[in-house]
Parts: sequence; structure tokens; C-alpha cells
Amino acid sequence: MSSLKGTYDQLEKDVLAAMSKPKKSFWLALAVSSLMFAVGMGCWGWQIYKGLGVAGITNPVGWGVYITDFVFWVGIAHSGTLISAVLFLFRARFRNSFNRTAEAMTIFAVMTAGLFPLIHLGRCWLFYWLFPYPNERLLWVNFRSPLVWDVFAVSTYFTVSLIFWYVGMVPDLAIVRRYSTGVRQWIFRIFSLGWRGTRYQWEHYGKLYMFLAALATPLVISVHSVVSWDFAMSVIPGWHTTIFAPYFVAGAIFSGTAMVITLVVPMRRIFNLEKYITVSHFESLAKILLFTSMIVTYSYIVEYVLAFYSGHEFEIAHFLYRTFGDYKYLYWLMLLCNSVLPLTIFVKKLRRNLAYLFILSLFVNVGMWLERFVIIVSSLAKDYDPYAWGTYTPTLIEAGITLGSFGMFFTFFLLFAKYLPVLSITEIKEISE
Amino acid sequence: MSKQWIFDEKSDFLNKLRELVDNGVDPHALETITPFPVHEADHILHTRTSHLRFFTLAGTLTGLIAGFAFTIFTVMDWPLITGGKPLISLPPFLVIAFELTILLGGILSFVGFLALAKFPSVKNILQPPEEFGNQFVIQQRGEE
Repeated sequence: MSSLKGTYDQLEKDVLAAMSKPKKSFWLALAVSSLMFAVGMGCWGWQIYKGLGVAGITNPVGWGVYITDFVFWVGIAHSGTLISAVLFLFRARFRNSFNRTAEAMTIFAVMTAGLFPLIHLGRCWLFYWLFPYPNERLLWVNFRSPLVWDVFAVSTYFTVSLIFWYVGMVPDLAIVRRYSTGVRQWIFRIFSLGWRGTRYQWEHYGKLYMFLAALATPLVISVHSVVSWDFAMSVIPGWHTTIFAPYFVAGAIFSGTAMVITLVVPMRRIFNLEKYITVSHFESLAKILLFTSMIVTYSYIVEYVLAFYSGHEFEIAHFLYRTFGDYKYLYWLMLLCNSVLPLTIFVKKLRRNLAYLFILSLFVNVGMWLERFVIIVSSLAKDYDPYAWGTYTPTLIEAGITLGSFGMFFTFFLLFAKYLPVLSITEIKEISE
Repeated sequence: MSKQWIFDEKSDFLNKLRELVDNGVDPHALETITPFPVHEADHILHTRTSHLRFFTLAGTLTGLIAGFAFTIFTVMDWPLITGGKPLISLPPFLVIAFELTILLGGILSFVGFLALAKFPSVKNILQPPEEFGNQFVIQQRGEE
């Protein structure tokens, strides 16, 4: 019998190989994404200089691409917590192949999402007015406003996800410490906190990880519920519905899972991790994708049923407008991406084909972005009074900032993949015995 | 004199541990260093359950109370009716209280972990102790 120690040593070498000299494709990807990031920052700078007028948002559509991007990125963040916390509590073993990546994705997606409310502000330097702090105006924030709930939900989500990600990494950082030298070793010495792996360290660590998972699970559900209430608390037709919270949570997990597939398929190839992230693991992810796709589709149907069954003429008019009005092409494209194409995963051959899954995940990403756009824009474009109707077309600046958000996300992700262990080495050891 | 045993295999490590405890060695005098948590060893050595839960509980309760207390304090401090809703509107305040429950619960759990496991260990950071890689180690503290 070959010794387990040999297997573990090999595992460490394979995973840490990703942190040594990367391939050319890595640098190319980094160059492209940081360029995109720079374009986005440039566009934002221009918007700050010229004013919000450079964006297409105006009356009646005051929420456009920026809020779409915000909801999209918060949604992307969700599967990170789902894969690491929820699947941890359910003891789903395939999570170990994805949890580190998914958690990193959560952090970067929340960071990206958190920028959008700021971008959306005319005077973004006053963003701290959103926080309740004693001030010379003697005013407090309005805690009845969903926008303030958002501040609390998103900042809590970021903090707890960061702790969860870091804690999960501590034993692995101690492994990296062993393999590195010089300044790098010093950095890992500090961040691994002096970890040794004694029995009480493991005992406290195990409890902490479980509690954090248990706290993160209701948190993840609350965060996207709160995001959905940004809409559902208003009386706008198409938004004012009780199913928004579960509908958004399912959509978030759906889009997040798609993003995990989008990121991990190329990452696995670039870093030669085929041995540890297997096709069967992807198949499990694909099943989550299919399941959440069906929940999302069901929610689409329920929205229509609620509108027509209620007999509320504005709701009915809104849903007819959404389906056949100005944004109908986006709506039908969204249905194709989110409800029709994922059904192909029922075919075993397709869900085990990584190239197919990768392409499908791109469609789902597009579809979920469109979903938010359709919900936000079509509801605002035609609400109650025909006098106040109008349409909205995004400007190049808005497109540039959206591009920049993808650039920011991918730049951070690539840097993570280069400088930190992308797989949870310790957990893989634990389950492989 | 302290003694040390190093194993490549978990089973050998566990057998030795059992043998030591059966021979009357005090489990408190034994320390193990492993590449991942080994729960069988905890059973043999009667490792005490972590007290971390008290930190988590304290954090979550503080968050919950602080969430309600703070929101109610602010509306009483400057009473301003918005949307015709009562000043003390518990359902929206619950959202804030919930988020703070999780936030403080998470932060205090982390702080509790650092305190209980004595992290960061400055001594180990400045002068890393011997590394055993993927081996399973038993150390017995010497009798004074």
C-alpha cells in the first residue's frame, strides 16, 4: 500500500504548483482583465467629473445598469457561501473541490457589488451618510428604508464571508509557509498565526468553522432577500410581490453556480488540477444549476399567475408590457438562457461535458444579468401614469463601468489564484483517507 | 525529558496513542500534531469540547439586543414619522437586528477562537517550531 503521506505530499505539491511560475495564459488573462478594470475606473472618473448626466438613467427610469450590476454581483456572491457553508452543513463532499474558489469569488463579488451603490450616487464621496453615526445634523438614518437594510446586509455579508474564507485558509497557509522562503515565508508566517496543528488548535478550529457555517447559512438567505426588498417594498407593478425574496435567492444561487463553473473550468486547465477537481464534481454542480434553474422558471410562472389571478390591471398591463413591450427581446433572451438552455443538463452526456457546461454557464451569466435588467427597467419604464412613462437606453459610460466591474472581479480572482492555495488542501486530505 | 514519536500512517499513530494511554500515561501530558483533525485521537485523549460556543452565543445575543436597542434609540432621539408608519416599527428593525446578530456572532466567534487557541502565537511566528509536514506526531511532556 502506498503511504498516505506520499499522497498528501503530492497533493501539496500539485496545489502549490499553481502558486509558482504561471503560464503565459495567466499573464494574458491578467493583462486583459486589468485593462478592463482600468477602463471601468476611467469611465467612473469621467462620471464623477461630469456628473451623473453621462449615464442614461433619468426620469422615470432612475435605476438602470448600475443597480442591475449591483444585484447581479450580489447574486454571484451567493454560491460561494452556498458551496462552502450550506454544503458543509449537509456534508456534501464534492464541495471541497470548489469551496476555496467559491469563497474567494464571494469576497470579490461583494466588493464589486459594494461599489455600485457608490457609483450610482451623484456625490459618491458622501456615501458614509448611509451609515448611522452621530453627526452635526443630529439626524439618524431611516431604518425603515430597505436601502439602509442593504447597507447592513451587504457589509455583514462581506465581513462574515471574509472571516469564513480566512479561517478556512489558516491551516493551508501554514502549509504554504513550509514551502516558501524569504519575505514570502514571513508573510505566510504572520497570516498562518503560528499554526501547528495541535489537538486543541484543531478542536477550536473545527468548532469555529461549524459556527461560521451555521451563521453564514441564514445570512446568505437574508442578504438576497434584503436586496429583493429594495424592489418589493415599493408599490411599483412587477416589483410589489411577496415571492421576490425566495425568487431572488434562488436566482442568486443559480447565477453564482454558473459563475463558479465559468471560473473553475479554465482554472482547472491552467493549473493542471484535473486530478482533484473531477468531472463528477462538476456534474454535482450542474445538478445544482439545473435545480435552481427550475426554481427560477417556476418563479417566472408564479409572477404571471399572481398578476393575472389578482385582476390588478396595472400588474396585468405590466406583465404584458414585459413580455411584448419595448424590452421584449431581452425578456425572451432571458427566458432562453435561464429556463430553456439549462434543461439540457438533464442529458447526462451534456452535464459531464465540461466544454458544454462552460458555454452554458456563460449563457446563464448573461441570462441572469438580463433578468435583473428586465425586472428593474421594464417596471420603472411604465408604472401607473402614462404621462410619466419613458424608456431607457444605457450609455457607453454605463457599459464601460459594467465592463470594468468584470475586469475588477477577474483581476482580483486571478491574483488570488496566483498567491493563495486554490484548493482546500487540508480538507481534501481529511476526506481522502 | 520529553519524548516524541513520529508516524507516516494515521493507524500507527492511533495505535501508539492507545498504547500510551492504556499504559497509564496521563492524556494531559500528551500533545499531538496532525496534518488534519483526527477525531479518533480526541476520543482516546478525552480532548475537552471547545468553549467557543459561549463566545458565539454572547456575540449573537449582543447583536440581537444591540440591533433593536439602537434602532429604537434613534427613532426616539429624533422622532420623525416616515410613510405614516409607527416610530417603533419592529418588522424593519428586525432586519437590522438579524444582520447584527450574525455580524457580532461571527466576529466574536473569531475573536473567541483567537483567544482560546492562543493565536496569533508570536513565539511561533518569530521562530517557527519544527515542521512535521504530513506526519502524525505524539509528544509527551516530561515529568518534573
